[in-house]
Amino acid sequence: MFALAWANLMHHKLRSLLSALAVGIGIMLMLVSNGLATGSLAEVDQRMQSVDAELVILPAQDNIIFTGGAPFRRGHEQHLCQAADERGPLAAEVIPVFFGQVKMGGQQQRLFGVDPRQMAAFLGPRRVLAGKLFERAGAFCDRLRAGEAAAPSLSDPAYQAFIADGLELVIDQRLQRVGGYRLSDELQIMGQVFRIVGIIETGVAGRVFAPLQTLREIALAGEPSASMYFVRLRPGLDPVAAADFFQRGLGSDVRVELKSDYGRLLRESFAQVSLYLNASSGVALSACFLFILLTMYTTVIERTREIGILKSLGVGRGGLLRLSINEALLISLGGVAIGMVLAFLVRGVLLVYKPLLTVELAGRGLAAAVIVGVVGGVLSALYPGYRAARLDPAVALSAE
Amino acid sequence: MNDELMIDVRDLHHAYTHGGVVEPVLHGIGLHVQRGEFVVVMGPSGCGKTTLLNIIGLMLTPTRAETVRVAGCETLGLDEALRTRLRRDALGFVFQRFNLLRTISVRRNVALPLGLRGMAADGPVDDLLARVGLAGMAHKKPGQLSVGQQQRVAIARAVVGRPALLLADEPTGNLDSANAAAVLDLLSEVHRADGQTIVMITHNEQLAVQADRVLHMRDGRILD
Repeated sequence: MFALAWANLMHHKLRSLLSALAVGIGIMLMLVSNGLATGSLAEVDQRMQSVDAELVILPAQDNIIFTGGAPFRRGHEQHLCQAADERGPLAAEVIPVFFGQVKMGGQQQRLFGVDPRQMAAFLGPRRVLAGKLFERAGAFCDRLRAGEAAAPSLSDPAYQAFIADGLELVIDQRLQRVGGYRLSDELQIMGQVFRIVGIIETGVAGRVFAPLQTLREIALAGEPSASMYFVRLRPGLDPVAAADFFQRGLGSDVRVELKSDYGRLLRESFAQVSLYLNASSGVALSACFLFILLTMYTTVIERTREIGILKSLGVGRGGLLRLSINEALLISLGGVAIGMVLAFLVRGVLLVYKPLLTVELAGRGLAAAVIVGVVGGVLSALYPGYRAARLDPAVALSAE
Repeated sequence: MNDELMIDVRDLHHAYTHGGVVEPVLHGIGLHVQRGEFVVVMGPSGCGKTTLLNIIGLMLTPTRAETVRVAGCETLGLDEALRTRLRRDALGFVFQRFNLLRTISVRRNVALPLGLRGMAADGPVDDLLARVGLAGMAHKKPGQLSVGQQQRVAIARAVVGRPALLLADEPTGNLDSANAAAVLDLLSEVHRADGQTIVMITHNEQLAVQADRVLHMRDGRILD
C-alpha cells in the first residue's frame, strides 16, 4: 500500500508538490514564530543569568517582559540598601536597574541604567573591547552625592553642563557590529545627546548601558527608584530563605524571585502572546491540512474507478483508509521537510536583515513539527479515506 | 450441498433503485457451475449478465435469493470484511476495460493480489508474465502497452493468486479479432492447464465455442 501511495503521488507530481508546499509554509510559520519567541526569551534569560546576583526584585503586577519605568518607591530602595549595608544580614550588593528605551541597530533596545561602579556585576569575565566603562565612572554620581543639586529645568544650561559627563553609553559588540557604531558616536536619547564610550563583549544582560543616575536625573528628577533590582547575597546564604525575607520586608506590591527562575517568569509572562502565536500557527496549519484534505478528496473522486479495482482485488475498507492515510502522510511529511528547510532559510535571511533577532530552531520545535505533520496528515486523510472505503465496488467500477 | 459446485445460485432476484424508481434486473436466476468448468454467459445488452457476475463476484448484494454459494461459501449475510476476504482469496476478475492501475508498473499490477495476501511475488509474477508473453514489459506502465497487452496483464493479475473462480466480463469487448483470439486462447490455456473454473460473459458466439457450457440470458432470466 505504501508503494501504491507513493506511485499515486508521483502520478500527480505538481499537485503533490503544491500540497506539500502548502503544509511546508504552515510548518515554516509555526517554526519561525515559535522559534523567534523561544529564541528571544532564551537569549534574554541567558543574558540575565550572566548578572552576578541570586535574586531579582520586580513590581508585583508588571509583566516581566514589559517591566520598565520606576515603579519602586523610595522606601523600597532604602530597605534594600539597609540589607546591603555592612551590618545588613543578607545582601552583599543591591543592584538597581532603570530601564529606558533606545532605538539602535534598527530596532528598539532596552537601555540598562546601572551604577557605573556596579558594572562588574554585569560584566563578569567579559572584557571591555574598546574604550572604557563610562569615561568618568562614578564622578557624576559622586558629585550628585556631594550635594551639587541639579537645576530644576532640563533645558537650563547649568543643568546640561552638570550632567554632561553622565551622558555616556556602553554597548555590546553584537549591537556595535549590527549598527556599525564606533566610539564617540553620539545618539539622541530622552532628549539628550549620549556618546558611546565603551564596547564590551556580547553576553551581558543588556546591549546598551547608561549611568543609572543620569537616567534617574533625566526621567525621575533624581528620585532613587528603579525598574528592577538584582540582589547578590552574602556567600553561603540560602537564596530561597533570603527571597522570603526580602518579600516580607518589601510588601506585597513587590515580588522577589530567584534569578534562576527568570526564564520561567519570562515564559509565563509571554504565555498570552505565545497563545496568540500558537493560535495563529494553528489556523495557518489547519488551512494547510484542509488543502491536503481537499487534495485527497479530489483524489478519491478522480480515482473512483481505481478504488473499485482495488476492492475487486480484495482490498478492504481498512486497506483503502490506510492507502489514503499513507498518501496524506507522505504529503505532510514532505511538507514538514519543506517547512524545515524554509524555516532555516528564513532564519538565515533574518540573520542578515535583523541580526539582533534570535530564531531558535532546536530539536524540540522540529520534533513538534514532525508530530503536527503526522497528526495533521492522518486527520486530513480520514474523511477522504472513509469516503473511499464506503464506495460500492460495482458502482465504483462503473465510474468513468 | 455438492462440494463439486463452484457456484450454486438459486432463486436470485435483483433490482436497482434509481431515485425511488425500482428497476428489476434479475428474476429468479438459478445457476450451478462445477469446479473446473468453463462457462460462457451470453445475451443482449441489459439482460443482467454483468449484474449476475457482480453478485457472484461479491461486488453487489442481491435484493433477494435463496442461496448464493461461491467457492463453497454461502455469501448471503456475509459482512463486508468477509466478502472482501473471499474476493481476495478465491476470486479473480478480468474486465472489458482491463482495469489496470495506471500509476504502477505491469509487474506491480500483477503482483498486487499476492501482496494483498502477504505472499512473495517475484517468482510467480515473472513466470506468469513470461507465460502471457510480456516478460519484457514488466517495468512499463499499463498506458505504455497496447490494448491486447493490457488485457493479458489483466488476465495475469487475475490468475496469479490461483483463485478458485475466474470471472471475466466481456474480456474481449475492447479488442480486435486477433487480440480477442489471443486472449481467449490464454483463458482456455489457463482453464486446461490449471483446471481453472471460469465464468465468462461475451457477445461473441465464435469465442463461446471453447467453453464447456454456454448459457443464454434474456430479460433477467437464464434461458437454457
